[in-house]
Amino acid sequence: MYGLEAINAANGWAMAYTGAIIVFLGLVVLSFVVSQLHRILSFWENFISKFNQNHQTEQTDEMQGEDTFLVPHLVPSDINEAASYYSHLIEDLDQPFELTKLYEISQQKGFPHPHITISNFRQANILVPAGDGLFTWSQP
Amino acid sequence: MELLIQFLTNTGYYLADFRNVIMLFVGFIFIYLATAKKYEPLLLVPIGFGILVGNVPFFKGFGLGIYESNSVLHYLYFGVTSGLYPSIVFLGLGAMTDFSSLLARPKLMLLGAAAQMGIFFTLLSALALGFLPKEAASIAIIGGADGPTSIFLTAKLAPHLIGPIAIAAYSYMALIPVIQPPIMRLLTTHKERVIHMSEPREVSKKELVIFPVVGVILCCFLAPASIPLLGTFFFGNFMKECDVTGRLVITARTAIIDIATIFLGFTVGASTQGDVFLTGKSVGIFCLGAVAFSIATASGVIFAKIMNLFLKDKINPLLGAAGVSAVPGSAREVHLVGQEEDPTNYLLMHAMACNSSGVIGSAICAGILWSFLV
Repeated sequence: MYGLEAINAANGWAMAYTGAIIVFLGLVVLSFVVSQLHRILSFWENFISKFNQNHQTEQTDEMQGEDTFLVPHLVPSDINEAASYYSHLIEDLDQPFELTKLYEISQQKGFPHPHITISNFRQANILVPAGDGLFTWSQP
Repeated sequence: MELLIQFLTNTGYYLADFRNVIMLFVGFIFIYLATAKKYEPLLLVPIGFGILVGNVPFFKGFGLGIYESNSVLHYLYFGVTSGLYPSIVFLGLGAMTDFSSLLARPKLMLLGAAAQMGIFFTLLSALALGFLPKEAASIAIIGGADGPTSIFLTAKLAPHLIGPIAIAAYSYMALIPVIQPPIMRLLTTHKERVIHMSEPREVSKKELVIFPVVGVILCCFLAPASIPLLGTFFFGNFMKECDVTGRLVITARTAIIDIATIFLGFTVGASTQGDVFLTGKSVGIFCLGAVAFSIATASGVIFAKIMNLFLKDKINPLLGAAGVSAVPGSAREVHLVGQEEDPTNYLLMHAMACNSSGVIGSAICAGILWSFLV
């Protein structure tokens, strides 16, 4: 078979125009996606940078909040000075409180040697027993 | 004496016929074009020498020829018939390709699609000339001007035609400086040829990294049969762009692609044994290949002119000729033709964008034709 008859018999016309349409469609879609790629990326980067900014602001706020009480590097030799550092922690606790809670918080905040310091507070009657294993803060 | 006569009757000199002589002459031409004229030497030297080796007459049954099972050449040829070498070549191509100019101006990708029209026109022509559908599709893919793609599709659809189709595809790729410029000049005016392309925008590294991922998903989902080509192509490109696989990229774009090219070219050349190659079909394939290549070039240029009717920022229609996937030959030719008209006009970077989209387009076409005919 030759000529148009052969083309028709092999479904040639359909193969040719369908193939042409598919390849065109494929590359048109690819070129469209590629043309939008930098826009999508810049949108994503803006989103990420805004998210990071918000996150940083929150962190700064938190840090500012944290800055309201100072954490000493060493246990102050003066018990009253040590108590002044701990007084900020006590504000967050409901009176009376368990010593374990004070210990946990002071450890979380990075206070040096909290166990010894709390023990000293007890000896100095800064931590006063309130019964049932609870204590109140009595800063001089 | 009898032993000597027996030996002489087994020599290539005695067994040679005119077809071997013709093919040896073709092999010499390839080697001459590659070495003296520097026409695609990396392809034509292995193919040309392969033609010489493949056309040395031998006593059949010794397991020597490429079509005889258990011969060394037959094993090497397996990379062609299985589509292995084209896949590996595409891996290396991907590792070499810089898509930044394409990403900067994605509309040039349409020229890569337009240039594939030669494939479908040739499909109809080949059917009309009496080729079987699978043969016609294999011949048509020559219009993509992509040697590995042509070999890949032919290996899948019409393995008996690998020799002539591969030779035709690579011959026309080597003859780009002869075939394309007259078509470009015929279809464009001087005013169009001197159009300067505007400066492309800068492409970010993130875009370059994301593109191969987007490309493989969009193209391979559309034509899954193109996975062996486009999968490795985009994989190679991703390795290049992700910047964490430096050693692998260097290997892919040097040693791996070179090894595949050597064996691909050599075995394709060796597959052109005179008695297999010199047939009426081969002549038809060569004629249709020329038609396919010319129409692909013309359709790219014409489509660029059509695009200019709608674009404010005009594109140089010569770029349409680079929509065929002969990398980087056709891009280079577009640049040279543009510079002949205006030496200050640098089109190479833009032409490479069309070229790389042509590679994607022809691989998609191969996948489409394969899925139509399997």
